[in-house]
Amino acid sequence: MGIISVEQTVRLLWLGRYTERVYTTLRLYYSSYDTMIDEGKNEGENAYARFCQMIDIPDIYGSKEVFKEKYPFDEENPDSIFSNLNRAYDNAIMLREEIGSEALSYIQLAIYAMNKAKISRAPFIELQRVMDNILAFWGIADDNIDSEQTRNIIKTGKRIERLDLYARLGVGRKELYREICRLEPRVARSGIRYDAEKIKYMKELVEKPEIDYYKVVHEAETIL
Amino acid sequence: MYNYELLEHTDTVNELLARYGVKFGIYKNNTFKEQLFPFDAIPRIIEKQEFAGLEAGLKQRVQALNLFLRDIYSDKKIVKDGVVPEDFIFASSGYMAECEGVIPPKEVCSHISGIDLVQGKDRQWYVLEDNLRVPSGASYPMIAREMCRRSSPSTFENTLLEDNRNYAQLLRRTMDYVNTGGHTVILTPGRYNAAYFEHSYLAEKTGAHLVSGAELKVKEDKLYYVGYDGRLERIGAVYRRISDEYLDPMNFNPESVIGIPHIYDVFRKGNVALINAPGNGVADDKGIYYFVPKMIRYYLDEEPILQNAPTYLPFYKKDMQYVRENFDRLVLKDVAEAGGYGVVFGEKMSKGQKEEFIRLLKREPRRFIAQEVIDFLDIDILDGKQTVPRKADLRAFVLMADEPLVWKSGLTRFSRNPDSFIVNSSQGGGFKDTWVLSQ
Repeated sequence: MGIISVEQTVRLLWLGRYTERVYTTLRLYYSSYDTMIDEGKNEGENAYARFCQMIDIPDIYGSKEVFKEKYPFDEENPDSIFSNLNRAYDNAIMLREEIGSEALSYIQLAIYAMNKAKISRAPFIELQRVMDNILAFWGIADDNIDSEQTRNIIKTGKRIERLDLYARLGVGRKELYREICRLEPRVARSGIRYDAEKIKYMKELVEKPEIDYYKVVHEAETIL
Repeated sequence: MYNYELLEHTDTVNELLARYGVKFGIYKNNTFKEQLFPFDAIPRIIEKQEFAGLEAGLKQRVQALNLFLRDIYSDKKIVKDGVVPEDFIFASSGYMAECEGVIPPKEVCSHISGIDLVQGKDRQWYVLEDNLRVPSGASYPMIAREMCRRSSPSTFENTLLEDNRNYAQLLRRTMDYVNTGGHTVILTPGRYNAAYFEHSYLAEKTGAHLVSGAELKVKEDKLYYVGYDGRLERIGAVYRRISDEYLDPMNFNPESVIGIPHIYDVFRKGNVALINAPGNGVADDKGIYYFVPKMIRYYLDEEPILQNAPTYLPFYKKDMQYVRENFDRLVLKDVAEAGGYGVVFGEKMSKGQKEEFIRLLKREPRRFIAQEVIDFLDIDILDGKQTVPRKADLRAFVLMADEPLVWKSGLTRFSRNPDSFIVNSSQGGGFKDTWVLSQ
């Protein structure tokens, strides 16, 4: 069929967003976890609280020990990496005929890898497999999905999410500008209605001496 | 005796099936859970000649059932001629008055029929049940065959058997045959349906779009798929995996939120094919099952090729007498239940339970059938490194396209419990591939 419904569009978009959220928060968790290893050597550091603040999630953990366990694996916590992976699966499972069994299987494998990491004595290293499966999913989605529109909608979701997260994290001007530039042609090819003025405005925001990151987040979130 | 290369990789095949999401959903204590459907690599093997007999019998049975459905919702000749009592039609929960006088496209009512069979120790095949509403299960042996071919290519190089992966083509041919013009879609109630894997897998393999009710719309007596930008694309065939009552809130259950308002009106006007047609439940009622051999004689003027399991209807005085006298060796089935539920074995009841049950039979004789317990032929399954015998059935699939097509395979379900005859996946059973030899 040459057309795609609102429901399918929303699922594809959120599949892109949640897979990106899992990927980027995992990378960030790695770097924060690494910092936490040295915590205590330098008094006053609190990497996990900074992490929560950076990505704008409530600090419900109380200690770095609880954070290290709950943030990646607690399925009851809507902000956890596992919950986001489950949301990616919720969308992917409804899209088998659109994205193909092969692409879907990598989301399933990421869930199995997450479950394995959760009970592992070395969860940190096991999480690498989750990341590998997300990367494999993107690779196969790019390679196997015939419909250009389908691919572009997934990637639009991915680009919006990355821009949103990068702005929250306050990354450098160059990186942020690059992500806006990557989103621009993608959303244009997705066939989804969007506000082109917001792209222009985000570029202007990033070019200012002081970047207003919250405004960038807001514009990214409301572009569609 | 067994091909060890194939069996050696059973665990790997099961891992691959898990990876591809080969699961079924189940509700327990009001919670939805997805469960893996355990696969056993020892295939059920059916010789070419033996399957030819089954094929002829299955075609005959499904042709008769289709004629019955056409008749019941029009002239009711079979009732007028006294072959089937009207009590068994109008009291059936599957009978739908809304279907009276409605002629489905190409006059096909049961496009996809799942016929459950068992093989007795005497090697005779018996039909246990006809499933003419939304039979599921074909996707499991299809994908299992794909994985087994990867795990042991030499097994398939050296065995001459029918390729069962053609089910998608047979289904596509069936859907295209009745399509009234436009796209074909598979309508799913959503991912929390027990057979959701099958819906999505068959959509992928047939190239049909998988849709939910919210994506379809009726406009001026036609059915459309609604695009993101409001554009409409005509739909000519809907392989619906939603039961009759939830299909259309304007014609059936008004509380349904998963159906499409007025889709049945479009069907009634002949502008879309619904696969299978609504109202089929009247023909796969366990009470009607008793009459299928009579239907074959009545409509086709032929002797039935496939046998029913010996069945008694307490509705008839003579049969009630027989049931009471032979209660301990019979299995009693509630006609309104499915999935292995509502089945009780006389020998397993206490004296008090039996008395209570017989009182119930007298009060509601139409509600139950009684059958002789068939001594199934056990088939081997793998239990660790050992093989152990277990009860198993076979669901054969018959598709009604321009001609009846019998899929040369089937879903073999087995009980993992050594003392059980219940093979349903929802009750812990597993499945096997069914090999039909081509020479």
